[in-house]
Amino acid sequence: MMPERFNEMPSNPMERDKYIPDTFRILGKRGTRRIDGFRKASGTAVYTRDIILPGMLYAKWLTCPYPNAKIISLDTQRAEELPGVRAILRYDDPEVYGRRIPTLQGGEEDILAGYAYFQGQQVGAVVAADTEEIADEALKLLRVTWEKRPFILEAREALEPGAPLTRPEWRPKSNLMPLFFQPTDTFRFGDVEKGFKEADRIIEFKARRRYHGCSDAEPVSGITRWEGECAELWLHHQHPYEHKWMMNMWFGSPMSKVKINAPYNGAMFGGWNWIDYSMVPQYVSALLAKRTRKPVKWIFDRRDDFTFGSLDAMESEFKVGFKEDGTITAVKIKTYFENLSFEAGLHFVENTKIPNVESQTLVAQVNKGPVHAIRCEQLPPAFAAIHVFNHVAAELEMDPIQLALKNDGAEGEDIVKLEDFKRKHGFPLRDSLRECVEAGKKAIGWDEKWHAPGAHKLPNGKMHGMSFIWDHEWDDNRGAGAAGLMIQQDGSVSIIALRSDVGVNAESTYCQIVAEELGMRPEDVFLRQQDDVHLPLMTPDGSCNLTTNGYVMKKVAKRAKKKLLELATTTVHMIERDVPPAFPDMNPEDLDIKDSIIYVKKDPSIKKTVAEVVKDVKGSFMQKHEYGAIQNTTHEPIYAWAWHRQGRLGKEPGRQRLCRQAHFCEVEVDPETGEVEVTKVVNVNDVGKAMSPETVEGQQYGGTYMGIGRNRSEEYIWDPKTGVLLNGNLVDYKFASMRDVGPIETVIVETSLGLGPYGSVGIGEDVATDTTNLLQGAVYNAIGKWVDDGPITPKKVLEALGKA
Amino acid sequence: MKDSPNDKSRYLCPYCARVFDALEDLKTHVFAEHKDEPLRRPEGLIRLKINGEVHEVQVEPNWTLYQLIHDELGLTGAKMFCDRGACGSCTVIMEGRPILSCMTLAIECDGMEIETVEGIAAKEHPLIESYVKHHCMQCGYCTPGFVVTAKALLDRNPDPSEEEVKDALAGNLCRCGTYPQHPKAVLEAAQVLNARREVKNDA
Repeated sequence: MMPERFNEMPSNPMERDKYIPDTFRILGKRGTRRIDGFRKASGTAVYTRDIILPGMLYAKWLTCPYPNAKIISLDTQRAEELPGVRAILRYDDPEVYGRRIPTLQGGEEDILAGYAYFQGQQVGAVVAADTEEIADEALKLLRVTWEKRPFILEAREALEPGAPLTRPEWRPKSNLMPLFFQPTDTFRFGDVEKGFKEADRIIEFKARRRYHGCSDAEPVSGITRWEGECAELWLHHQHPYEHKWMMNMWFGSPMSKVKINAPYNGAMFGGWNWIDYSMVPQYVSALLAKRTRKPVKWIFDRRDDFTFGSLDAMESEFKVGFKEDGTITAVKIKTYFENLSFEAGLHFVENTKIPNVESQTLVAQVNKGPVHAIRCEQLPPAFAAIHVFNHVAAELEMDPIQLALKNDGAEGEDIVKLEDFKRKHGFPLRDSLRECVEAGKKAIGWDEKWHAPGAHKLPNGKMHGMSFIWDHEWDDNRGAGAAGLMIQQDGSVSIIALRSDVGVNAESTYCQIVAEELGMRPEDVFLRQQDDVHLPLMTPDGSCNLTTNGYVMKKVAKRAKKKLLELATTTVHMIERDVPPAFPDMNPEDLDIKDSIIYVKKDPSIKKTVAEVVKDVKGSFMQKHEYGAIQNTTHEPIYAWAWHRQGRLGKEPGRQRLCRQAHFCEVEVDPETGEVEVTKVVNVNDVGKAMSPETVEGQQYGGTYMGIGRNRSEEYIWDPKTGVLLNGNLVDYKFASMRDVGPIETVIVETSLGLGPYGSVGIGEDVATDTTNLLQGAVYNAIGKWVDDGPITPKKVLEALGKA
Repeated sequence: MKDSPNDKSRYLCPYCARVFDALEDLKTHVFAEHKDEPLRRPEGLIRLKINGEVHEVQVEPNWTLYQLIHDELGLTGAKMFCDRGACGSCTVIMEGRPILSCMTLAIECDGMEIETVEGIAAKEHPLIESYVKHHCMQCGYCTPGFVVTAKALLDRNPDPSEEEVKDALAGNLCRCGTYPQHPKAVLEAAQVLNARREVKNDA
């Protein structure tokens, strides 16, 4: 990941779509009925966990009781004899032994390992039985002899010379994980030593974020059923279409013979971890289904769900140089990550003018479960940027908002350079950060309430604190998607695409775009995304949904509209007769469509509904039906399809991120108990254009609840003596509930500075990722002490106050 | 073939050989005339009323009520989320009280009256529409649990304050963080219900 200089855009690989305010009938309007709402509220929406097939078996895994161990022997005889047990797959089975699956950043996982590197790892054996209870009983009857090995839970300890190996099978020499995306462990932009020389002041500090997890609502599961050589899969997964490839790789199944069902997902925030990991059990279920000739459902229970964590399990040492006026001249970071990394210095380069950045990444493999992006891979750079801005503002006793505005920019260059970019590429000359902070300041009452650290004691004895954080909006666009569109003969419109349900109400927004572009009423457009129609949309396969899929919808609707208006004006020549068009003696350009009605532009009183135009009454002759559905049709169905590729992978050279976000909060810290109460949050997001305002707001307050939960309580806790995870359940692992956050005010800014359709930028990852570090500044502002160790528990607050 | 009563099975009394058309009539006869309980109910056979319909089900002693209604009866609105009584997603209303079906043994529910989200939706309770309108769901997995909990609240308190709604729903977990929308939807549904009641009372 080499830094990209502020290049000229060599060619424009990205479509640039302009947002023209107030010209839309449907987009951006509130009150469009969401297409999944009734199903989800009434309990009729079906999730993979809900599905039971006739004769279905349940597959469950043996888990390792130790944090680092190897199987010496495994006796399955008693388990095999238990009535109702249909198959046991062993790690030394020739079909799985030594077989691996590629994972993120060049890693690999055994499909079914004979060793474990964290407590609770699924290893050794899988039982398929008539019921879950029988499978659980059978697992208890397995006789396993383990070779216990020393374990390490702390990254620094794992990297000490002579430390015991945490993954001897993977890396027999060291616990240091190689970095696959960069040639060295240090990312360099500019010259930090020069930057420190230019600085008036230099500060150093440490900050940490502890291992936390996903806790998706629906515990993951999946089903495989074979019908001869055809496989059918039910998936709780982000990338349903990819499983066709996996079935091809594993079983040689032609992709045309693999059918995917993607029922609703009971939350899908865990990114890459699920992708690799849920492919492993899916393979196992397919293998067991083949052997038993029955459908096999693999099941992870709630404890199994605690296998995975987020990739911001990290501890960083910071050195920051800056001038008295707030200009930051250099940032140097050294980060110890647990099990995986993402470049922590990235946001300084992408959305500040800080000219010198150096960031060293050390990834230690510790005896904890694998980590990947949970909601977003940008957690480490957001963590780093927020802590640096907090500390510099505090050191200078400067309003953090002024500090942000002072350092806004990109790739070491001032905001003026961004304005040049906007001018060159036809963006409006709006200052996103300034607009966001002005809106946010007003909403939270910043100018009236902001105070010096530790200076505001409330009548209830608690200390009042405030914070402000900012960032760019990075869900801009990447990836590719395809979809078809068919106008059925009753005039209803089907969007034809396979996608798993991720995000807030995304399918409704796709329907809104099609309705807008095609001239239909929103209720006449429908997408049943869970059906396998072989056309995959983004799900998100790389953070983005709408910014890619939105273009697909625009394109496909435009193509269908062209065909529809051609049909409306074209005589169809049959063998025995001619079928006249709905609008004789007209050309397609004479017509337009609004509210599902085709009308003549010059005289809108001449009109027919889309249903009347596509209905094939003329073709009906044999039956007394009002329609001619198949054999009697006289014209080809109105069908179009489109594909769109947006960008390369994230941020291309020369492409700037122009939209910003800002978040504000107020807290009350109890100096006696250390409790931090969040009394108010304001989210301000410049999304370019909000196609569905309710959806944007859902990501704002929803992300805030996730972020605040991570700030205050989300943490996996291992017993240092045994390496056993102590809180692998939702009683002891606490994410935010309704009472945990005070009122949240959401503000949408629409500058049209995004590269997505209509000038939009996505929002799904951004709020949760930034607000994961929202409280640090507020707690400092309240008590005048830093608690830079997330989550900020009462104990840590009391320690900071010298009371514990 | 013509359908006539003669084509149907008939039931013979094992004590006196009287013939009955319906099994229920035979049972009544044996109980009244021979003072015996014919076809003693096997252990584990329970009878409960779910959404107004009677179900007689043979259950295993270890089955939870969740397993019974979700896996056996196909009422999939109750969801398995935390599996430990911490999240409220499996909530159903039993005898007027919201209870956690994953923490309740099915065998203990003999004779009980139960309402699930499916029953609430079938009655066109205004909560469903107000939940859709206010976007109270994202992934939607926990949503039925919230709806059922809210319905139980409105049953016993038709005019709750916002704080009372929050108190009632505080035990339901939502990973997507839809929390701010629920009080709005519940209060609106309460208004709709109260307006309906007024119309009824006026009539």
